[in-house]
Amino acid sequence: MKDKQFWIGAGIVIALLMVYYLIGHPFFLSNRTVMLFAILLFSGTLIYYTRLAESGESFFLRDIPGLKAVEEAVGRSTEMGKQVLYVPGIMDMDQVETVAGVIVLGHVAKMTARYETPLNVPVSRAIVMKAGREACRESYLMEGRPDLFQDDMVHYLTDDQFAYAAGVNGIMVREEPAACLYMGKFYAESLILAETGNSIGAIQIAGTASQSQIPFFVTACDYTLIGEEFFAASAYLSQKPELLGGIKGQDMLKAMIVGVILIGSALRVFHDFGWISWDFVNFLTVQ
Amino acid sequence: MFWKRTIPIAIVATVGFLTLFGWFVDEPHIKNFVEDDATQWYDILASFAIFLGALNLLKMQSQKILKKQTGWQYSIFAVGGFIFAIIAGFVIKGNDAIQWGAHVTGKGTLFKWMFEFMFTPLSATMFALLAFFVASASYRAFRIRNFEATLLLISGIIIMLGRVPIGIKISAWFVLYLTILGIGVVVNNAFKNKQITLGFVVGGLLLTTIAGFWMGWPVDQPALFYLPILQDWIYNIPNVAGGRAIMMGIGLGIFATSMRYILGIEKSYIGE
Repeated sequence: MKDKQFWIGAGIVIALLMVYYLIGHPFFLSNRTVMLFAILLFSGTLIYYTRLAESGESFFLRDIPGLKAVEEAVGRSTEMGKQVLYVPGIMDMDQVETVAGVIVLGHVAKMTARYETPLNVPVSRAIVMKAGREACRESYLMEGRPDLFQDDMVHYLTDDQFAYAAGVNGIMVREEPAACLYMGKFYAESLILAETGNSIGAIQIAGTASQSQIPFFVTACDYTLIGEEFFAASAYLSQKPELLGGIKGQDMLKAMIVGVILIGSALRVFHDFGWISWDFVNFLTVQ
Repeated sequence: MFWKRTIPIAIVATVGFLTLFGWFVDEPHIKNFVEDDATQWYDILASFAIFLGALNLLKMQSQKILKKQTGWQYSIFAVGGFIFAIIAGFVIKGNDAIQWGAHVTGKGTLFKWMFEFMFTPLSATMFALLAFFVASASYRAFRIRNFEATLLLISGIIIMLGRVPIGIKISAWFVLYLTILGIGVVVNNAFKNKQITLGFVVGGLLLTTIAGFWMGWPVDQPALFYLPILQDWIYNIPNVAGGRAIMMGIGLGIFATSMRYILGIEKSYIGE
C-alpha cells in the first residue's frame, strides 16, 4: 500500500466497472470478461511499478550481457575506424518489434554520435526509414552533434525480403562494418544476414521476438536478446526509472503467470480425476 | 512542444485504447474502425511513403555512380533494374491483348517476363543460400565446446536420425549400448577410477545383452531408446516446453511495450 493514489485510482476503476456491469453492461462481450480482467490486472501491475520507480524506489535488475555489449560493439567500431551496421528487421512500423528496433536504434545512434562513429541503417520499409531518421536525428541532437547526422545514414533498400538480404549482404561484404546489430522482426533472411556478418568477423548482437529465428541468431551472433530481453532493451539502455519500473512490473507478472500455471495444472488434474467439475483451462481459453 | 509531443502521444493513446478495448465491445462502428479503417489508413500512409523510399534508393545509387564510390558498378544494376521495372510497369506492356493493370500478372507481358525470369530466380538464389548457411551455422553450433553444445549435438543427431528412414532400422539395443558407453565416459570423468568405470561399462553391457536375449532383440524395444520415439519425445516435450516459455516472455514483453506506448510512459519514438 505504498502508493495511495494508485490504489484509490484502481478502486475507482473497479467501482466503475462494477456499476457498468450491474446496469446490464451494454455493448460488452461477456465471454471475454476473463481477458478484460487479465489486461486490467497486467496494466495495473505495470503502472504500479512504474509509479513506484518514479517515486525513487530502486529495483534490482539482472545484467543482460547482450545490452552491455552494445556499447562495447560501438567502441570496437570506433577503434577500428569502421562503421556500425544496424538492421531494424524487415517488417513495417505496425509490428511492435520494429517499433522496439527503432527505439533501440535511437540509443545506438546516441553512442555513435558520442564516439563519432559512422552509422549505416539500411531499411526495408519507407515508413521505417522516416521513423529511423527521426530517431537518429533526435539522438544526434541530444548528444550535441547534429553536424554528424546525415539523412542518408538511414536509407531505403527494398521491400522484398531476399532482395533486402542481398542488399545488406552486399553492404557487409563491401564495407566490412566492425559491428552488426540486428534488432527487429526477422524471417528466413536472419541466418543469411548473421552468417555473412560472421564471415566478415564483425561483432554481432541480435534482438528479436521471432521465435523461429532465435536459434539462428544464437548460433551465428555473439550476443542475442531473446524475446522479452529485446523489449526491455530500451529501458536498460536509457536507465530511465519509469521504464525500469515497467521491467520490474513485467517480472512480477511473470511470477504471477508461473503461479497461475501451477494452480491451473493442479486444478486441471483435479478436473480430469472428476474431483471438481469446474474446467479451469476452459475458463482461461480466449473466446 | 504541444504539436511535437502532446498531440502524437494523445493520438497513440486514443487509437491504442480504442484498438485494445474495441475487442471487448460489440459495436459495429468501433469494430469497423479497429478491423478495417485503422489498417486501411495505415496502408494509405505506407503507399505514399513508398515514393520516399524509391526516391531515396534512386538518389543513393545515383550518387554512388556519379561519385564513383566503392562498388559503384553494382549501383548501375540497381538503377538499371529500377528504370526497367518502371518501364515494364507503366510504359511497355509487351502484349497488346492484355489490359493495363492486368499486365502485371498476364501472360506474355514484359512485367510478367521480368518477374518470372529475373526476379523469381534471383530471390530463389538468395533463398537457396540458406542451405549452405545452415550447414556452416550447424557446424559451429555442434562443435563440442561445453555441456550445452554436447547436449545440442546429441539432440540434433537423435532428431535427424529419428526422422529419416534409416532411423527406423536402427535397433533400440544399439542405441542402448551406445548410451551405456556414453554414460561410462561420464562415470570415468566423475570418479577417475578405472575399476569403477570398467565395472559400470561391463556390467551395463552384460545386463543389456542378457535383457536382449530374454526379450528376443525387438528393434523398437525398449521404446525409450528407439530413435523415432526418442526424437518424437524430444521434439514434443522439452522443445515445446522451452518454446512456450519463450513465447510467454515474448507475449508479456509485447504487452508491456504496447502498454508503455499507450500510456505515454515510453516516449522514445517521439525523440524524448
